[in-house]
Amino acid sequence: MIRKIAFNLFAWALVLAVAFPLFWMLVTSVKPQFELFRRPPTILPETWTFEHYIGLLKETNFLNYFWNSIILSTTTTLIVVAIATIGAYSLVRFKYRGRETLAFLVLFTYLLPSVVLILPLYLMLVQLGLSNTITSLVIAYTTFALPYALWLLRSFMAGIPEDLESAALVDGATRLGAFRDVILPQLLPGIISTALFTFILSWNEYLFALVLVNSDEARPLTTGVMNMLVSSFNIEWSLLMAASVMMSVPLIIVFAFLQSYLTRGFGAGGVKG
Amino acid sequence: MADVTFSNVQKHFGAFRAVQDLNLDIREGEFVSLLGPSGCGKTTTLRMLAGLEFPTSGEIRIGDRVVNDVAPGKRDIAMVFQSYALYPHMTVGENIAYPLKKRGVEKAERARMLKDTADMLQLTPLLRRKPRELSGGQQQRVALGRALVRDPKVFLLDEPLSNLDAKLRGHMRAELIELHRRLGRTMVYVTHDQLEAMTMSDRIAVMEGGKLQQFAPPQEVYREPSNRFVAGFIGTPGMTIIDGALSGSPGAWRFDAPGISVEARHLGPDAAEGAASMGVRPEALTIGTGDTPATLRLVEQTGHENIVVVSIGDIRMTGRTTPDKVWSPGEEVMISIDPDMPHFFADGPNGKRLNAKPSPRGNEPSHSLSNLSEVSP
Amino acid sequence: MATRPKTLLERHYALLGLALIAPTVLVFCAVIVYPLISAIYLSLFSIFTPTLEGEWVGLANYRELLTSGDFWSALRVNLIWTIGTLTLQIVAGVGMALILHQNIWFRSLARSLILFPYFVSTVVAVLVWKWLFNDLYGILNHLMMTAGIIDWPIDYLGMMPNALISVILVGAWKYFPFVVIAVLARLQTIPDALYEAARIDGAGPVARFFDVTLPQLRDVLVVIIMLRAIWDFKEFDLIFLLTGGGPVNSTETLPLLVYKEAFALNQMGMASAYAVVMMLIMLVFMILYVRRTRSVDGA
Repeated sequence: MIRKIAFNLFAWALVLAVAFPLFWMLVTSVKPQFELFRRPPTILPETWTFEHYIGLLKETNFLNYFWNSIILSTTTTLIVVAIATIGAYSLVRFKYRGRETLAFLVLFTYLLPSVVLILPLYLMLVQLGLSNTITSLVIAYTTFALPYALWLLRSFMAGIPEDLESAALVDGATRLGAFRDVILPQLLPGIISTALFTFILSWNEYLFALVLVNSDEARPLTTGVMNMLVSSFNIEWSLLMAASVMMSVPLIIVFAFLQSYLTRGFGAGGVKG
Repeated sequence: MADVTFSNVQKHFGAFRAVQDLNLDIREGEFVSLLGPSGCGKTTTLRMLAGLEFPTSGEIRIGDRVVNDVAPGKRDIAMVFQSYALYPHMTVGENIAYPLKKRGVEKAERARMLKDTADMLQLTPLLRRKPRELSGGQQQRVALGRALVRDPKVFLLDEPLSNLDAKLRGHMRAELIELHRRLGRTMVYVTHDQLEAMTMSDRIAVMEGGKLQQFAPPQEVYREPSNRFVAGFIGTPGMTIIDGALSGSPGAWRFDAPGISVEARHLGPDAAEGAASMGVRPEALTIGTGDTPATLRLVEQTGHENIVVVSIGDIRMTGRTTPDKVWSPGEEVMISIDPDMPHFFADGPNGKRLNAKPSPRGNEPSHSLSNLSEVSP
Repeated sequence: MATRPKTLLERHYALLGLALIAPTVLVFCAVIVYPLISAIYLSLFSIFTPTLEGEWVGLANYRELLTSGDFWSALRVNLIWTIGTLTLQIVAGVGMALILHQNIWFRSLARSLILFPYFVSTVVAVLVWKWLFNDLYGILNHLMMTAGIIDWPIDYLGMMPNALISVILVGAWKYFPFVVIAVLARLQTIPDALYEAARIDGAGPVARFFDVTLPQLRDVLVVIIMLRAIWDFKEFDLIFLLTGGGPVNSTETLPLLVYKEAFALNQMGMASAYAVVMMLIMLVFMILYVRRTRSVDGA
């Protein structure tokens, strides 16, 4: 019994240590500015304040960036998941020449470093006159999101018994009919999981945003918030922590309600291969 | 008229020949089993008939129509899968009605047909449930219902009973026989279980190594197996097959193996001197009386009979006796082999049967054979 | 293999399959294959980034790259970073997975908390850590001084070797949850019977770990290590945001060098050469991983 309690305390001490930076982020974001520089620091704020959040929304471009990020990530996710779903169906359930090579190529691009693609993509998008637009970022994000989504969905697709599709075919459905009636409903958890991953990936992306967008109109949160850090004369940590919390809101929502989909995605994609 | 025809059908997966030179005529209304060990090509054959696999060459016909290019849904077939393949996100009712919906049957008609089928299979109380809430036996019924609901020309069944427990399997076997009799539709049934094939079929197509070994009514497959493979595969307990050699001349053949020398009667024109084998069914062996000494090795008491293994030198033979006989292993006994009953096969694992064919019998599908289910254990 | 006459239906299906994969192929060609080839092509030019004008220089970029100290220094830093952070990720990840596999209080909450750093944006992670690392008001220095480990505040990011160590630690913190989840998933599939058998054979907890758990984890660990090695090697955001490669260039890895060449030094051609060489190095890992995945797929 005592060993059990000791083990639990030990385990939770470790868990809390890992989570401490995030806790500290929350705490800092609700402390008034003067309390930040108190020695020794206060673990829980003596005075709670939401002034930083209000300031963030009212006096900075945060909302603008936030909105850009929402549009950017949603568009990327929708396009990528749509293409990847039918692509994965084709890769798993159809037979044609070159299918194996293609599957291999998907895996290969899944591992490809963005740095290699970014220079030619930059040139290409500048030539197309798309630099400094959200569209350019959607195009750029496809380079990592599509292989990723394909790889995940391929694995989910392979988990759907082939007999189900066969049964639908015998029952009178066409291939696409069977896809719509039988495969799609079965694939739905996989699609949700893939969409969440793609969304988070796009939401967190930094390098492409840094290189391709240089105006506040199209800047997403990642580069936008970093810009706030760099441009201000003295760093307002509370404000930055408030921005960090706000930036993590979609994630917190996913964690609170849809976490099982994230774990599922892990099993299907990253590790099992 | 032939209802299902395979003409020179081949199916290769890369270098693997799953089905070779298959010729099969299935008559209208017939219950045909494709029987064989796993990997023999029986499921591939069924899937080609369903349109789920494509023959490498050859022609498949349903009725008068060549169906090689016809989509599965347009072949007028229904199929029951080994895994049942029930659509998990649909209710039982939606599952059964799905083929009707895909064929554009209007809603009121659909409801009526669904009701008929559900009543017939006693599924009515379950119609609103999801497949995962059902027992294995109930799922099996739903799969059957989905096949039955639209009255197709041919039913395809791929080991439909293999996921049920033994008791339920026996029950479903009887039900399927009854169903076949009532509907009078052509049924093609894939199984590796010879009891199922023997009790249900009008004719059995025994397959092995991608090749059709024999296609005949159950009794014929049992009594006149076309070759050594079929002889060994059919029958429980199995036929004892003894390697030896034939000598002599037509009308006066002898079969010799170490410790055994018997007169080989009823050989046909294919018989020749040299290596051959003799097959002895348990019922051809008399234990306790006879002229050949043997050692008793094993007695299995099943209740209504004893299954007895005896050995002559290295040869082990299986026979049956009545349960009142008391034996103990190691005992010396005299045995005899009924000289009119052994089968003889040419050399090799698929060696042809050498016995003379009896006068040809009628080839009409005999439903009476279905009654075997009541007799079999 | 000889081609054979296919049935109409089979051809129809094959065409449908091709139609469904066509969007993928188009996108791949446009945003991956074409840029990849361009990258190689660009590396043969000397291009001034602001004007994007350049002249053919052949392999000169590569010659310069291999003889310059920058490349070798970046490769060295890159390897130290990768090996350092990967090792910590694996050790911490397996350890934490073993803990979370036990029936501890509020297990799912603990798992969420552990998982969070992995999903949080690198920008957020870096901002938080910069605040923790702050030399005057950072909680880390305060805690260490209170505990008596140090007498004076430490400069975590502005000095060597502190900067590299800090980067490696933050990298480990951010990415070890990946290992936790992967290992945890595998742990849950190890049959209890194996542990019971080991217990009957007299194996203690330590022996059970080495004789039962570790061999069962071997396969998944190999995959995790390869995958994480590839991802850590190409990491840009975390290092760039934490130190920007500094102080001077002591935390500058190859991806940072590519960025610096292209957008700070305005040498687009040279940057491409760096990128290509970096990809060639990674190709070794990638081929290993792909081959392994394929063999597992085939089995």
